[in-house]
Amino acid sequence: MSAEVKLMPLQQAYDDLLSRSLSRVPCELGRLIYLASTREYNTGHYYHQGLADRFGLEAAQKALAIAHRQAFYKLSAYSLEDLVEELDKYLASTKEDAMECLRAWQKLEPYRIAIPADVNPTVARLFTSNLRLALAVLRFRQGPRRRLP
Amino acid sequence: MIDTTGALLAAAALLLLLIAWIRADKALRDLPFGSEEWLSSPDESKELEACPPEFVSQIFSSGDLTYIERLDSRELERQFHHERNGVALLWVRQTSAAVQRIMRRHVEASRRSRDIDFLTEARIFLQYAQLRAVCALMFVGVGLAGAQGVRGVALYAEQLTQRIGQVAREFDAGFREREIRDARPS
Repeated sequence: MSAEVKLMPLQQAYDDLLSRSLSRVPCELGRLIYLASTREYNTGHYYHQGLADRFGLEAAQKALAIAHRQAFYKLSAYSLEDLVEELDKYLASTKEDAMECLRAWQKLEPYRIAIPADVNPTVARLFTSNLRLALAVLRFRQGPRRRLP
Repeated sequence: MIDTTGALLAAAALLLLLIAWIRADKALRDLPFGSEEWLSSPDESKELEACPPEFVSQIFSSGDLTYIERLDSRELERQFHHERNGVALLWVRQTSAAVQRIMRRHVEASRRSRDIDFLTEARIFLQYAQLRAVCALMFVGVGLAGAQGVRGVALYAEQLTQRIGQVAREFDAGFREREIRDARPS
């Protein structure tokens, strides 16, 4: 009975996160980056003010952690071709200069911080490896004249 | 008596194996930061999350390679092989490390057990030896034929790992049950 009571706010927090915050993000990569950004760098704890106010801090943290892992595994399972399209969609949605973003992503590899804690190391490596390849494919598609140094 | 041709062939095969091993080892050393630390968690009691089978299939599949080949860029193809072989080798290392951990725990449990079934023990040990041999073979195979070339062996190794884990888990569960039963006052 007590487990049921504990599960309720978590399920509600998770559903709320999906229907309110995540549904507004246009692509899966965007959702992953958004969820990773709710994690505190120093402690690794997740924090979302609105979610914590409505469902409690613990339920909000757990819901964010679950959604983060799900988004990560979903994206890691993408074929390279689908990931290239996903990355293209994400870059287009940022409203920044796509070429500048591409260059920054290749150089700084910011997507590394999007990996949740304690996931399988091989899948984590597959994720970063596929993103490096997807970035290379997008750069290749831009053609030699538009390629940046 | 081995003739000159035979000796030369054997030397060439050995050289090929050595090159494949060096290539595989180099690809593994080129892994990004932190990858090696993931393999040997300082906290032995903390279980590393297993690689889901669908990802094993994906790592060794040729679907992504076909896509890269369609783009007709040698540089992209070279980068793809480098990246994918690195992932494949990490999986081989992770599988090998995981099965060693399973065996270590199993041996500890067996030492404390009073009624060991010889056939079960022999089966576990044979599967363990087979898997270690397959991992060594794949380590060289990825260097020689690439990740896609050893897909069948990888899927077999994945099944074997699950089987060993299952048998060892069943043994451990039985052992714990007997321990609890023996601890109860008669």
